[in-house]
Amino acid sequence: MESGDEEDVEKHRIHLRPVTLRSAPSVTLHLLPCEVGVNRPAPVGRFFTPAIRQGPDGLEVSFRGRRLRGEEVEVPPGLLGYVMAMEEKSLGKQDFPGGSDSDEQELVEPPEALERDFDRFMGASASFQRFTLWGLETVPGPDAKVRAALTWPSLAQAIHAQVPQD
Amino acid sequence: MARREDCGDGARARQHVFLLPEYLKDASKKMKSGLMFVKLVNPCSGEGALYLFNMCLQQLFEIKVFKEKHHSWFINQSVQSGGLLHFVTPMDPLFLLLHYLIKADKEGKFQPLDQVVVDDMFPNCILLLKLPELEKLLQHVTEGKEIGKKKYYKYSKEKTLKWLEKKVNQTVAALKTNNINVGARVQSTAFFSGHQISSDKEEDYIRYAHGLISDYITKELSDDLCKYLKLPEDPASLPKPPSKKVKLSDEPVEAKEDYTKFNTKDMKTEKKNSKMTAAQKALAKVDKTGMKSIDSFFGAKNKKKVGKT
Amino acid sequence: MDLGELERDNTGRCRLNSPVPAVCRKEPCVLGVDEAGRGPVLGPMVYAICYCPMSRLADLEALKVADSKTLSESERDRLFAKMEEDGDFVGWALDVLSPNLISTSMLGRVKYNLNSLSHDTAAGLVQYALDQGVNVAQVFVDTVGMPETYQERLQQRFPGIEVTVKAKADALYPVVSAASICAKVARDQAVKNWQFVEKLQDLDTDYGSGYPNDPKTKAWLRKNVEPVFGFPQFVRFSWRTAQSILEKEAEGVTWEDLPTGDQEGQGRITSYFNEKPGNRPHLPHRYFQERGLESATTL
Repeated sequence: MESGDEEDVEKHRIHLRPVTLRSAPSVTLHLLPCEVGVNRPAPVGRFFTPAIRQGPDGLEVSFRGRRLRGEEVEVPPGLLGYVMAMEEKSLGKQDFPGGSDSDEQELVEPPEALERDFDRFMGASASFQRFTLWGLETVPGPDAKVRAALTWPSLAQAIHAQVPQD
Repeated sequence: MARREDCGDGARARQHVFLLPEYLKDASKKMKSGLMFVKLVNPCSGEGALYLFNMCLQQLFEIKVFKEKHHSWFINQSVQSGGLLHFVTPMDPLFLLLHYLIKADKEGKFQPLDQVVVDDMFPNCILLLKLPELEKLLQHVTEGKEIGKKKYYKYSKEKTLKWLEKKVNQTVAALKTNNINVGARVQSTAFFSGHQISSDKEEDYIRYAHGLISDYITKELSDDLCKYLKLPEDPASLPKPPSKKVKLSDEPVEAKEDYTKFNTKDMKTEKKNSKMTAAQKALAKVDKTGMKSIDSFFGAKNKKKVGKT
Repeated sequence: MDLGELERDNTGRCRLNSPVPAVCRKEPCVLGVDEAGRGPVLGPMVYAICYCPMSRLADLEALKVADSKTLSESERDRLFAKMEEDGDFVGWALDVLSPNLISTSMLGRVKYNLNSLSHDTAAGLVQYALDQGVNVAQVFVDTVGMPETYQERLQQRFPGIEVTVKAKADALYPVVSAASICAKVARDQAVKNWQFVEKLQDLDTDYGSGYPNDPKTKAWLRKNVEPVFGFPQFVRFSWRTAQSILEKEAEGVTWEDLPTGDQEGQGRITSYFNEKPGNRPHLPHRYFQERGLESATTL
């Protein structure tokens, strides 16, 4: 560690633009039971959404010739869902435009500090309060891993709450 | 491999799906900046992990990511591989401070905090010093001295174990109210639905809570805490992750002879490919262009230095 | 033929039928089973039964029904219209299996091959006639697969009925010819008026015969492949022709029940999240493991 090999130093900061949390429009999300090995635009609204049917016990659709069964999953109370994306680099000085509004919080750091090349910015592009969870041929149900994962914030709260002083 | 240079297209870039505490949205009204992701040490593994600072609320958050194999998102009119879901939850900064206090204790003397919380590897750790009420927090795990106007601290294992015991106790209470099954491994499908809880013993709860807290402290401290809590040796070592669902069929897709009468030519030419299995080929040709943007910012560690020298 | 019900929802299966002629409830009947659209990579498969009293078989033959494959489309339409006119002694019923149903059955976790699907559908239609009160005495079936085993299975299921399964039954028995006409008329009409579930703009419907060896059909498939979704549900994804086009021209998709490539896939995923194997001596607590949660290390 003393060697201070600069390549290993983790000084990066990703600044999340607070304003984007307020303006994010709502988004439709589906969590699929398969790996599509790519990130790209996809005509979900033309191919997928119109094919969804309300079956006797849950939603039904097919994808690539396979039958999916789905259900809505609510984001637990007290939480909000966001889709975030990294901004392209080198936006230069416009990073924090018009920093003179007096009612807004002072910057924690002077602007020049934010232009280091190990700083980047990300913003919320959309927000959600529920998503559709799909299972391969069976409804994911209460045993779905992601449903269990959604209980984490409430347990985390207990673990990380301050303990009473003696 | 040639890469298409179209990563500027928003939908092609990696999108991250997050769950945040709702109050961050409200707090954002007062902020123009001050929310930032940084990499700090994970006090358990000693490796880097992502954290979020809210400099306005002066709060630290940890980030857990949900990953399950074979998942993807449809996000509006786009597809996002991986199907990851990030959870941002408030974190007790004392776990991180403790990491540095224990390290500094090798010196065996009282030190000011700004000399304790230093890290060549994770320089952003100085952000921890901006959090509020540090003095109060540090009383849980250190002996303090004031010389002149400056505070000096020294790690106290006794106090720390006491503090951790309280942490364990409040975690036990939450495990009970959250109906989390803490008993021996249960294979039942009703596992997460939280029936049959009453059969779990108090010791199981304490052991489970100890295990959870141990994810935030060093192995050594975890062992000390185990003794302090008077937990008997756990016969079962680390449990294995739950096994995957049974594979019901390994057969490649096969439309049987039924249409070959119409289609003999097709069948002949395509038969050999088909044995290579659809999935294999699909994987072999997975488009890697989208992955460029995945080349993560924080993960850039393996690569050669970007820009700065 | 009124296929309105199918046009409202063509993602599953759909049964259509004529009224049961009163005489068919009284007198012993002969019933034929045939299918249309088994081979094509596009559109539904239609199973049909047609039945009439044994005493009126000569009247059915007098219509000059024949194997639907030997007839032109207009001849089939004309013959079907005549059968409708003779509704006082000829009855029919159809089961339209959508391409989506075929794909999802054949590609299921438990594979349901086209033969089994066909056999079950045929048996289901015979049962349907019985449930409607048709006095079925004899059944003639155009075979799918081996006629002997198929006949044995049907005979076992319907012990009180004399079952004959034969290759080319549609050419040998008028009642099977009549069923083949019903099936073919329905299939042609269903394909012609196919209501695409997807919202497709400027869709070209010049897809030829729908058989996989038709160059027009293949060209249409290649032209209409969508990189993420593959094809509209009109296409049978389970056909090798469709699969091989997807393998070449669409994005890779892997499912948990297709184990091949797992190792490879695993490697790829961990590498792009930049975790170094062997670098993680500590496994998270079982609470996290059971929930698929771990500390985030990268974005």
